[in-house]
Amino acid sequence: MLQQASLVLRDGTTLDDLIMRDTNEVSLRVMTDEELYSHEMERIFAKTWLLLGHESEIPKSGDFIVRDMAEDNVIIARDRDGNVNVSLNVCPHRGMRVCLGEAGNKPIHQCIYHGWAFKPNGDFIGAPVEREKMHGNNVDKATLGLKKARVHLYGGLIFATWNIEGPSFDEYLGDIKYYMDQLFCRTDNGLELLGPPQRFVLPCNWKVPGEQSGSDGFHTLTLHRSLMEGGVMGGTAESIYDQAPGMYGVDVSCEQGHSLRCLEAEKTFKMFADVPFEGKSVEERLNLLTPPGITKEMIPQLFRNLSADQVEQLATIPPQVGGMFPNILIAFIFAPRTDGGSSGALALHTYVPRGPNQVEFVNFIFAEKDAPEQMKRDMLQNSIQQTGTSGTIEQDDADVWPVIMRNARGGVSKHMTLKYQALHGHERPEGWKGGGLLYPGFTKDDTQWNWWMAYHKLMSEV
Amino acid sequence: MTWVTKSTAAPDSTTILRGLSSRKRVPLGSAVYNRLLETLYDEAAALDERRFDDWIAMLSADLVYQAPIRMTRTGVNRDRDVMRTMFHFDDDYTSILMRTGRLQKSAWAEDPPSRCRRFITNVRVGECETAGDYEVVSYLYLERSRGDNPHNEQLTAERRDVWRDVNGAYVLARREIIVDQSVLGMSNLAVFL
Repeated sequence: MLQQASLVLRDGTTLDDLIMRDTNEVSLRVMTDEELYSHEMERIFAKTWLLLGHESEIPKSGDFIVRDMAEDNVIIARDRDGNVNVSLNVCPHRGMRVCLGEAGNKPIHQCIYHGWAFKPNGDFIGAPVEREKMHGNNVDKATLGLKKARVHLYGGLIFATWNIEGPSFDEYLGDIKYYMDQLFCRTDNGLELLGPPQRFVLPCNWKVPGEQSGSDGFHTLTLHRSLMEGGVMGGTAESIYDQAPGMYGVDVSCEQGHSLRCLEAEKTFKMFADVPFEGKSVEERLNLLTPPGITKEMIPQLFRNLSADQVEQLATIPPQVGGMFPNILIAFIFAPRTDGGSSGALALHTYVPRGPNQVEFVNFIFAEKDAPEQMKRDMLQNSIQQTGTSGTIEQDDADVWPVIMRNARGGVSKHMTLKYQALHGHERPEGWKGGGLLYPGFTKDDTQWNWWMAYHKLMSEV
Repeated sequence: MTWVTKSTAAPDSTTILRGLSSRKRVPLGSAVYNRLLETLYDEAAALDERRFDDWIAMLSADLVYQAPIRMTRTGVNRDRDVMRTMFHFDDDYTSILMRTGRLQKSAWAEDPPSRCRRFITNVRVGECETAGDYEVVSYLYLERSRGDNPHNEQLTAERRDVWRDVNGAYVLARREIIVDQSVLGMSNLAVFL
C-alpha cells in the first residue's frame, strides 16, 4: 500500500494527485503552483543540505562570500580558527542585509543601517554607543548573533542546512557517496574552484532544471545533437540514433534522489583511446584514458585516496554526469578540444529558486588543485565553452526550460503530465562493486523517478 | 592591453576599469576614428543579420575574445569589480569557429534565431604601441527578441577591443566584454557580444 501524503493544497489537491506514483507521472502544474512553492521552501530548502561554494573561495581568516540557500541569503565566512561558518545575512535588529558585497575579507561585519556588528562566525559583537544599550536592556548578547546554519565540508565543497538536528551529510548522501567520492575525494589536495561562479537567471521554476539533474540521459541525443554533430560523443550526425553514443552504461541512484550516469570509457570515448580495455590492468586503463581532470602524474593519488574497487570503476566506467537532490547538477566530462587535446571539464551547477517563476543558474567551474597551470587554463576554457552562460551544450537547455514553464501556466496545459514510464528497474550487474539502486544498459527514467520520489518524501513530511 | 588569468576563486585578483590605456588619443572625427566607427557598425550589422562568415572575416587568427564576470564589492574594494579569473566567454579564433559552425547545424538556442539589435555608442580610440593597432572602447546595448515573447532580453556592456589595420581593413585582435550585471538577466549567451 502506498502511504497517503499529508500535503493538501487549498483547492483539495493532494501530493498524490500531482505526483502519480501508480503511473509514474507528474502534473505539469507542479512547476507553477505558488502554494506548492511555499511548501517547498519549508519542507525542502529549509530542511535538506544545500551546496553553497568551495573552500578555495575563502582561503584566509576573514574571507567571505555571499550566496543563497533558496531565497535565504547567507554569509559564508572563515573565522580565526579556520572554520567555515554559514550565517543568515539578516540583521537580527531590523532585518537589513549585514553584508552587501559578494565576496571579500572582513574581520567584522557591520550592518550599515544601525551599526550592529558581527564576527565571521555570526556572533554578536555589539551595537554603537554601547552604554546606551541599543541591543536592549535585558537581552543576553549571546542570543543576538546571526542565525547559524549547520555546515559540512565534503571534498572542499561547502554544504549547509537549517535542519540542525536532521540527517548527517553522510545520511543525506546515502549509497551514492561511494560514487561521488570518485569525483570529489580522489586526490591528495582536492579540487580548486577556478573563479567565482557564473550567475544568470532563467524564467522557469527550479524543478524544470532540477528534474533534469536527476540524470536525464535521453535528452542528450536530441537536444544536444550538436555534440554528436561535432564528434564530441563519438558517432556521426547520420548515426546519432542508431549508435546512440553515450547512452549505454550503468545509471546509479539512491532513495535520497541523487544519481550519476557511469559510462563505459572504452566504448563511449573511442576517439581518445581506440584500444580495447580487455586484459588491461587498472593502471594501464588509467594511463590510456585518464579520467577528466586527472593527469598521468596524479594516477598514484587515486590509489591513495580511493579503494581499489573505486579506482577500478573510475578507470573503466567512470561517473560522468548526474546530480544531487534537490538542485545540484554534476558534469565531470571528457571534453575534446578543437585543437585535439582533452583535459576534461569539471562543473557543478546549483539551481537556486527565486520565486516560483524564476531560477538562478549558478555555474561552478573546477580543476584539481595539483593540475598544471596550462591544464587549468584548458579546463576553464572547456567548461566555459560547453556549460553555463555561453556553453554550447547548455545554451540549448536554457532555451527549452522557459518554454516548458510557459506551457505549465495554461489552464489545460498545466494538467498535462511529465512521464517517467521508461523504467528498467533495479538490477545489479555481475561483478558490480558499489551499492545503491542500479540501472545497467541504455539509460532510462529510473533515476529521475527516484528524484521525484525523494521530492515526494520530503514534501510529505512536515 | 594584457590581462593575466589567475587560477584562484578568491576575490584578490579583481581589477578596476580605468579609461583608455593608450596615451595617444585618436580624435573623434579623424579619418582613422571614422573608419573604425564604420567597422564597428558593419560588425554589428553582420551579427544582427547573422552573416557569420562576414563576421569571421573581420576576426584576426590570434583573436582573444573574453567576457569576465562582474562582482558586487563594497568598502575599499568597491571599484574592484571585474573578475578576470572567470568568464562568460573565454574564446579564441578556433573556438569561435566551433561556435559559428554549430550555429549552422542543430543549435536550438538560436533555431529559431533571436532577432537582435546591437547599439554601439561612446566610442573612444587610442593608438597602441604596435603600429597599426588601435585600442577601441565602445558601449554595447543589446536588445534580443526571442520567439513570441513580447519582452526583449537586454544586455549592456563595455567592449575593450584591439583592432588591427591589415591592408587598409581592420580586423579584431582582442575583445574584452565587460558586462554590467553580476547576475545576467539574459537566459543564455548564444549570441555574440
